[in-house]
Amino acid sequence: MKTVEAPPPRPGGRSGRGRRKRSPEALSWAFMRLSGLALVFLALIHFSITHIVNDVVETDYDFVAERWHNPLWRLFDWALLVLALSHGLNGLRWIVDDYVRDPGRRKAVKGLLYGVTGVLVIVGTLTILAFPSRPR
Amino acid sequence: MTPASTRYKGKAGQWAFLGHRVTGFLVFLFLLLHIVDVSLLRWPETYDQVHRLYGNVLLRLFEVGLFFALLFHTFNGVRIVAVDMFPEAVRNQRRLLQAVVALTVAIGVPGGVVIMWPFIEGRLL
Repeated sequence: MKTVEAPPPRPGGRSGRGRRKRSPEALSWAFMRLSGLALVFLALIHFSITHIVNDVVETDYDFVAERWHNPLWRLFDWALLVLALSHGLNGLRWIVDDYVRDPGRRKAVKGLLYGVTGVLVIVGTLTILAFPSRPR
Repeated sequence: MTPASTRYKGKAGQWAFLGHRVTGFLVFLFLLLHIVDVSLLRWPETYDQVHRLYGNVLLRLFEVGLFFALLFHTFNGVRIVAVDMFPEAVRNQRRLLQAVVALTVAIGVPGGVVIMWPFIEGRLL
């Protein structure tokens, strides 16, 4: 019987199983697919509830209060918030890389992008968490 | 005169790429605005006042546009994932993009009518 030797550990690779180390860009590629597939449901269900099943004017404070009485809807909205923002952030990062060629300017635009997105993750999370569980 | 070499001669895939970028960018911009308006829930009266604006005809038209952008980005995204998973599908890529556009229109138009309904009925303006 012929024995096959395991490949030598790759330099710099952590596992000796010969598995290719994934680059950050490959992870970002996979993240776009996975978050995108989740957002198909999260975003379309959210839009249907707030614009199709109910008219937009009906979704006032009391509507939100009733809906967020259920913590699962808060979780749904929070998942939508985080996934939509990070999916959009990564997409915009790609767009900036394509169109903003000057290194200094690219850094500045990305800094602004990360800053604004970071602030909005916090604002959105606080909005969901701080909302009272009892109606006004 | 613009040199001919700078003109893209891309086909279906190029338009899909451009459409995906533009719709993604627009939806992201709306998302930023939307997180800010929802944060007004902290002040119920202010939230309701600002929120009523979304019932305005102009903003309803904007919502129809948002719906179309969302639908196109969704179905085109599913197309991209499908082609990644089944590379053979590239052979039918024109057909696939037609399906993306057809689905966007088939769902966007009735959805748009629902969003504009209070205006169509004459309850607005």
